[in-house]
Parts: sequence; structure tokens; C-alpha cells
Amino acid sequence: MADIIVIGAGLNGLVAANYLAKAGKHVLVLERRALAGGQAVTESFGAGFQADVLHAGGQLRPDIVADLDLARHGLPESTSEPLISLHPDGRQLRLTADSDSETLASIGAFSKRDAERWPDFVAFMNAAAGFLDAAYRTPMPRLPHVKLAEGLPLARLAMKLRGLGARDMFRVIRALPMSALELTEEWFESDGVRAAIGAVAVHGATLGPMSAGAGFSLMHNWLNRGGPGHRRVENGIGGLANALVAALKARGGQLRVSAPVEAVLTDDQCARGVRLASGEDILAPIVISGADPRHTLLDLVGAPDLPPEFVWATQSIKMRGSVAKVHLLTDGAHALPSGTLVVAPTVRYVERAYDAAKYGRTSLEPYLEITANGPVVSIHFQFAPYALRGAEWSQERAVLERIAIDTASNALPQLKSSIREIKSLTPLDLEKTYGLTEGDLNHGQLLLDQMLFMRPMPGWSTHKTPIDNLYLCGAGVHGGGGISGAAGRNAAAAVLRGK
Amino acid sequence: MLETLELKRTPFHERTSRLSVAQNWRRWAGYAVVGSYELSLDHEYWAIRDRAALIDVSPLMKYMIEGPDAARLLHKVTTRDIFKMGVGQVYYTGWCDEDGKLLDDGTVSRLSDQSFRMTSAEPSLRWLAMNAVGLDVKVNEVTDEMAALSLQGPKSRAVLNRCCADRLDALKYFRLMNTGISGAPVSVSRTGYTGDLGYEIWVQAEQALTIWDALMAAGADYGITPCGILAMDMARVEAGLFMVDADYTASNHAWIEGQKSSPFEMGLDWTVNLNKKGYFVGRRALEQEKKTGSAWKLVGLDVDWVGLERLFAEVGLPPQIPGMAVRASLPVMAEGKQIGYASTSTWSPVLKKYIALAHLQRPHYEPGTAVTMEVTVEHHRRHAPAKVVKLPFYDPAWKKK
Ligand SMILES: Cc1cc2nc3c(=O)[nH]c(=O)nc-3n(C[C@H](O)[C@H](O)[C@H](O)COP(=O)(O)OP(=O)(O)OC[C@H]3O[C@@H](n4cnc5c(N)ncnc54)[C@H](O)[C@@H]3O)c2cc1C
Repeated sequence: MADIIVIGAGLNGLVAANYLAKAGKHVLVLERRALAGGQAVTESFGAGFQADVLHAGGQLRPDIVADLDLARHGLPESTSEPLISLHPDGRQLRLTADSDSETLASIGAFSKRDAERWPDFVAFMNAAAGFLDAAYRTPMPRLPHVKLAEGLPLARLAMKLRGLGARDMFRVIRALPMSALELTEEWFESDGVRAAIGAVAVHGATLGPMSAGAGFSLMHNWLNRGGPGHRRVENGIGGLANALVAALKARGGQLRVSAPVEAVLTDDQCARGVRLASGEDILAPIVISGADPRHTLLDLVGAPDLPPEFVWATQSIKMRGSVAKVHLLTDGAHALPSGTLVVAPTVRYVERAYDAAKYGRTSLEPYLEITANGPVVSIHFQFAPYALRGAEWSQERAVLERIAIDTASNALPQLKSSIREIKSLTPLDLEKTYGLTEGDLNHGQLLLDQMLFMRPMPGWSTHKTPIDNLYLCGAGVHGGGGISGAAGRNAAAAVLRGK
Repeated sequence: MLETLELKRTPFHERTSRLSVAQNWRRWAGYAVVGSYELSLDHEYWAIRDRAALIDVSPLMKYMIEGPDAARLLHKVTTRDIFKMGVGQVYYTGWCDEDGKLLDDGTVSRLSDQSFRMTSAEPSLRWLAMNAVGLDVKVNEVTDEMAALSLQGPKSRAVLNRCCADRLDALKYFRLMNTGISGAPVSVSRTGYTGDLGYEIWVQAEQALTIWDALMAAGADYGITPCGILAMDMARVEAGLFMVDADYTASNHAWIEGQKSSPFEMGLDWTVNLNKKGYFVGRRALEQEKKTGSAWKLVGLDVDWVGLERLFAEVGLPPQIPGMAVRASLPVMAEGKQIGYASTSTWSPVLKKYIALAHLQRPHYEPGTAVTMEVTVEHHRRHAPAKVVKLPFYDPAWKKK
């Protein structure tokens, strides 16, 4: 019998499982899909399609890689790539965290002054990301009842913030609730530079560059990416999950795929196992869920067995996803440069794209992020709201595909004629196929009022739930959001502390 | 310009307003109800204890809870085991927040396998809806649509037997039955807020006046008396029955933790079923309190008459006691220290005693403990000797017979 069941083989579930297996626990991971990785999967669908279907690239936190000895278990190399913003007049703005001469020259073509300021901006963003990284690994207290044991790590975090130096500390705190526009206006004069950074800030979020709090999401994305562009993973992002699965097996853990959990079994407000959709019951004294909090709590546990105020808070988690993907199988002659290509020429353009989502419409002029993997070109589309007004995703899919291809082809003239097949994922597909409630990639929007001691909801940031021995470890909890494994690491620590 | 805020009128207003000699109106949950029909409460009070008193209790909040999961919802909300409740049974119960502190109290009646009626003092629709998430149940508020009359007193059964389509002799304490009065379908529960023999009659608002008239006619020979809520307030203290926001603060109205009360602290141990199956709101906290014991307890205070007389005699007066229930906090002391407070105090005409409901701290809440309660003697604060007693103060044999 397993000591611990982990629901969901996303990166966070696998990271948690590994830490627990490393601590000597018998861990069983149950995944509803036929393969592990969650949103970090490399999949083939249809002839010739082999792609990072959801998340385009990324890396696990270096401490996790080291703790779990993942290099030994086949963790693939990843390399940083530039963010390349495509402009209608054919100009390309290249941004990297290295401030290499190519980057500076590229920025200089937009503004000399901005090129001069770029290295300072990178240093500031790295400092801010470093602070966020520290915050994400600090156990959060159960506000409003802070105990001494919880106060100490918080005090250490405050020291870390102080360690940024008085000037940067002030700047980081001030930038968190700012909009991306306000923040970039203070650094750069070129609208093109502001827009490219604003696009990073709202990537994956239902926010515009003029929304309050995009300063924070910029720091968050910068931290996970390690700069403005995604990291490309050799042979696909699925390699991260493969390494974690290999490491888990080496530690005696088990993974069962095609094993959707239908219910968390409880007895007297205490978890005692799970029931699979097949009807099979699997018992274990501890259950950890890497699925999103709303699905875990309201579908798997069920509102009737939870306190009403808690149910209310769970229902109130802002989940509103508005990301779609359009994958194109080309004949290979797409002529894409390598890197994270974005269509986000002006701040207004991106803000307008977001406006559509506010009103339940698909952006007619969307913000796109385009990456290529051999002949497959993947388009990340924002904004395509989960909840459409006056339309259904079954019909809207064709609209989405047309807008995605037209917009991308405008920026990349050779693309259109190279397309052989199209495969799109609407927010509804994200929910149905990938188990993401409301198509929300982060299991809950990355908003300041849903972060740190308020993630997944105020008072419940300790990975615990009102059900004893049921813990949460996915992107929706503290540390989570993005490819990093931080939430899984934190949850494993909470489980080990809790026993 | 501000619009005039008018109180709602109950379905019996046409009758009650004509009889209201004293024009002593009280506000109850947004309705105007009669405080007392006459200038003095005596006649109405004694109707409760000796004859039959007819009280308009329509402002009670009423909810219909229906559907396959109706029992499950109430099982989750209340502290009682609703799965064990039979059709035709009525439960008195409190309900708590997750910290095990009382939000409100009221009654739950099982009308059929899948349908219940719940009454409460405070608006409860939101709370019920929040608890109904994930359940197959419909919650409808019927406060305005449903009229309610309370017929209380030793002669209440005889009056009902005269005008109901069925006899009520077999209807046991805290049970209900469907019958008719002058052709109007009614449901009659053997419940009330007086601690006497008594019934509550539930009827559609359109038929309210029909049953009022029928009851008044049937009760004439028994001295049936329309009774206001002030006399009922005295009777309920004698019966040891408390009232939300008078004797305890609803936890969602409390400003600070200290204002909240648990069902154990209110002496409702018998309504808290910790053996019932599954989750209910506040379970964990209540289990914990059961283990560690309660810091407070609601008890009765029996003020010593001789001691009271002595305090007043010192200034040359006979004892002065308000002739109605007083909802004002009075400090209760022991060994020179304050150990609690009385929340409602009243003269009890039937017991000929000055009594109070009081919140006392451990260990002073044991029956028999000698304490003092503050009284105002000719503008001076004095302390009258009193004894802690078990509730209720008054419990006539015919209440449950
Ligand atoms: C296109 C795209 C772009 C993104 N961009 C960003 C970004 O810019 N910034 C950022 O921070 N994040 C971004 N993300 C989000 C990021 O990828 C996720 O936050 C991260 O992958 C979450 O990992 P996880 O392990 O917590 O959850 P998931 O990867 O969602 O894994 C959850 C797993 O649980 C399984 N599961 C669910 N329910 C059950 C059940 N009942 N039984 C069994 N198994 C179940 C699922 O199948 C899944 O495998 C993006 C995601 C996508 C798709």
C-alpha cells in the first residue's frame, strides 16, 4: 500500500512525488491522461505533428534539479533564446537577458536611450525575480493567525528584500501593483520596447499591459523564463516530465497513467484514499492533489463535505482562462527565425487584444507568441476567452484558426503557403482534455490578490485543506504558476512538516 | 429625498390593528407586530399560563427546503442528526459557523421525505444557499407567503379540537400534522416559545384571516386572548428559552470573538449530535469544545427576594421591578469579582420571582452557586443576592402531556 497518493502527473505533482519518495515514502502518482507532464508535454497528434502542445519551453528551478538529482535521470539541456518582437514594417526587436551586442543594437534601432538603459533594467528584473523566488520558497502563514514558527521565515524573507538595497527594495515593492505600461514608461521611451515587455507581463494571464498588477506578473514570468524569452528544451519540454518520472521510479515510486481520479475518499474530514473513474478504490493515509484547487475541492472532495465559507472562497478563485493554441504542420519552409517570436507591436495593440476578452470575444488582432519545432509552428493566442459571449467554441474554433494564421502570416510572409495541416486547442479543449478548469493555465490567475498568503485563497496558503491529510501541490497553490516545480517542492515540505 | 420607510404588515394586521388598544407596536424582522394589546401585560401574560393566548408570529423567517438532498443540506447546516428525523417531526436546533459559534437558532420540520420547513430569527437564505452548493436541493424563502399563529396555553388543545378538521389529542410534543380550519388547509405543529402547552399554525397568507376568525370564535368560551410579543417575552424567559441578539450575539454580527457563543455555552448540549454521520458546519470546533469543556454557560438566576427587599428597604422603598422582560446586560458578581452578566431579566408572575438568563464563567455556572446580580436601587448600583439554577424556571406537567 502507498503512503501517499499524488493526483496528477503535472510537473508539480511529479516534483512533490519525488521529494516525498526521496524522504522514504511509498508514493503512487495517478494521472488521468495517457502520458505524464500535464501542461509540459510533447505530444504527437495526427501524422507528422510532434510538438510542445501547451507550454512552449522552460526549466525547473535549479535547486529542484539538484535536490532530485535530475541530471542523472536524463533531464534534457535547455538553452535561453531571445524574445523577438515582429513589427509590421519588418523590423525585429530582439530582447535577451544577456545584454549582448546584438540585443543592444536591436534595441538601439528603436531608441538609443532605451538600449543604454537595458542592462540596468535586466539587473532590476533579475533582482525582483530573485526576491519573488525567495518569496515563493517561504512558507506562508495562515493569516490572520501568524505564529512564531511562521513568523521566522517571513522575517527572513523581509531580510532578503532588505538585502536588495534600499533603492531596489522600494522599487520592487512599488512595481508589484503597477501596470506594465506604467512600469516600462519609467524605463523606456520606445513603444515597441514597452509593448514587448508588456507582452511578457500578460503572457498566460487574462490581463492587459494597462491592468494593475501586471508589474507583478512580469516579475513572475521573468523569474520562470529566466529572462524575456522562453528556454528551449532539447527534443521538447516533455523531457522534463520524463526525467522526473525516471527519478521517481528510481526512488521506488510508481506512476499510473490513464487513471483518472473521480473522488477523494474521506472519513470524518480526513482523507483516506481515492476512487478512480473505473470504480477502483485506492487507499492511502495521505492524498496530495496537483490538479487545480477548484477541481480538487469541489469535484473530487465535493462541496457538501466542506465548510460553506471555504466553498465560497473556492468558487471565487478567479480562473478565467483566455489562451488558445494553434499548431501548424508545415512543409518546413516557414522560414521562422529561432527564438520566442511575438506579435505585440504596440502597447495599445496588446491592450486592445485584451479588451476583446473583457467582453467575451476573441481578439481580432491578437497578441501572438510563435515558436517553431522543426516543421511544426506553434502559435500561442491571446486573447480567446473561455466564456464567450453569444458564441460557442464549437463554431468559434474556425474563427480562431483564421485569425491566428492571418495575423502570424502578416508578420511572417512565408508561413501561410507552407501550412499543410492545422490543429487548434481552444480554452474549452484545455478544460476537457487537460483538466484545466475554465482553461486557466495557472489553476487560478496570477493576480496579486491571489498570490503568496492568498494563494489559492486567503488563509489557506499552507497547502492544507479543511480535509485532514489532503494537500494541494499544483500551480494553483503557493509557489505555483508556470514551469518551475516550486509549488510541488513547497507542498512536499508541508507534507513532511505536517507529519 | 428620503422615502418613508414603512414596516411591513403581517397577514393578520387587519385584525390585530383593530384590537390594539395600547398602540404599542414593535418591530420584528421588518414587520410591525403588536407589543401588547392592552396597557398592562397581565391579561395577555395570564392567557399564556392559564387560558389560551393567540400570538401573531408571522415575521419568523420561513424557508422551504425541497429536493433529493434536502435532508443532507439540513444535516450539514444544523447540529442535529437530520437523517434520523421522521416525517412529521419537528427539531429545535441551533446552527453554527465553522468555529462552532452560533449563527442563529430555530426549528426544522420534516413535511415529507424530501421536503422540510425551517424557521429562523435572522435572514438565512444566503447561508442555506452557500451550504447547498453541490447538492440537489431547492431553497425558497416563504416568509411573506406564509402566515403563522402561535396558540399557547393550557386550553390551546381544546380550542384547536373545536375548530380543526381533525382532533389533536394524538399530536405529540414537537410533532406536526396537516389538517384544516374552516376549509383552509393548515399545518399545525406542537411547538411554541412559551414553555406551555401550545401549537403553531402555519397557513398561506391569503387564508390568514379565516383561521384567525375561526380560532377566536372557537376559543371564546375558553377566554382566548390576542397576545402581544412582550408577554411572550416574559413567558419565554420563564421557559429558559433564549433569543438571538438579546441573549447571544449571532457570530456573523459579533464585532469581537468574545461576543460569540457556542451551543454548549448556551446549554444546547442536547441538540449537538457529535455522533451523527459526516461533516456538519462547526463539527471540529464543537468536538474540541466538548473535550475541553466550555468557558461559559447560560444559566438561570433566581434573585433572592428577601435580599432584594432589604436593598430597597434601606432607602425606604418596596422592591421595584420592571413589569416586563428587560433586555439589558446586568453584571453578575461572585466573591467581589465580575463573573458574568444577565442578558434578559424579568419578573415571573407565575413563579412570583425575579429571574434572569445569565452568562456565567466557569466554574461559577454550577447550579446552587451563590452570586449577586446588579440592581438599580433609587439610582444607585446595588448587588442583589441570587442563586444559579437549572433552566427552565417553569416547566408545567401539561407542556409535553
Ligand atoms: C500555452 C501556455 C502558456 C503558459 N504560459 C505561462 C506563463 O507565461 N507563465 C506562467 O507562469 N505559466 C504559464 N503557463 C502555465 C504553466 O504551464 C503551468 O502553470 C504549469 O505547467 C502547471 O503545472 P502543474 O503541474 O501545476 O499542473 P498541470 O500541468 O496542469 O498538471 C495537472 C495534472 O493533473 C492531472 N489531473 C487533473 N485532474 C485529474 C484527476 N481527476 N485525476 C488524475 N489526474 C488529474 C492533469 O491531467 C495534469 O496532468 C502556460 C501554460 C500554457 C499551456
